[in-house]
Amino acid sequence: MAAAVMENKLKVFRAKHNLTQEQLAEKIGVSRQTVNAIEANKYLPSLGLAFKTAKLFKTKIEELFIYQGENDED
Amino acid sequence: MNNKKYRQIRVLVIFFVGIIVAISLLQDSFLLSAVGIITGLLFLVLVRSKTKIRLDEREKTIREKAANLTYAIFAPTIGIGAFLLLFPTHSGLSVFAKGEFYYLESLGMVFAYLALFLIIIYALSYHFLNKKYGGGGNGE
Repeated sequence: MAAAVMENKLKVFRAKHNLTQEQLAEKIGVSRQTVNAIEANKYLPSLGLAFKTAKLFKTKIEELFIYQGENDED
Repeated sequence: MNNKKYRQIRVLVIFFVGIIVAISLLQDSFLLSAVGIITGLLFLVLVRSKTKIRLDEREKTIREKAANLTYAIFAPTIGIGAFLLLFPTHSGLSVFAKGEFYYLESLGMVFAYLALFLIIIYALSYHFLNKKYGGGGNGE
């Protein structure tokens, strides 16, 4: 099954807003491990979480998450 | 109370319950170990109810994939296991004709029913979840 390949600027936005992974996790209602996994591109967040994060940073979702195509891995 | 504190308390409770069970084994007291385990479980349930346990979407995804993998491994294993246990007893092989391995057939039957039960549960949950998430509709 094709899986979307994404790049994200979560770490950059987090640094701009002076937030730790734990603080960001608390604000968007996930665990610190999830924030870490998203930053490391190991986990793709759901649409809801992506919007929530973008809203928190007062930016557009496409500025935070950049779609780069698909690969064949699941 | 957060997740970290809950995990620390859980380790402590498991440690103490382990000590109580060890003591009860030494004293040959079944009642003491039962009381220890039940008290430990009740305490953990109480602590858990006071804890804000965060189950996020990543963990849900991991659980889904783990359940999927478990099904993909377990269902064929018990299905093939049932076949391998049932087939020789009905094949007329002399070693099975004496009835020495009659328990294998019973085990095979248990495996076969277990495989059937698993497939039925999967099919039913798939059907209901498919309906819940809007599959099978003809709306345009």
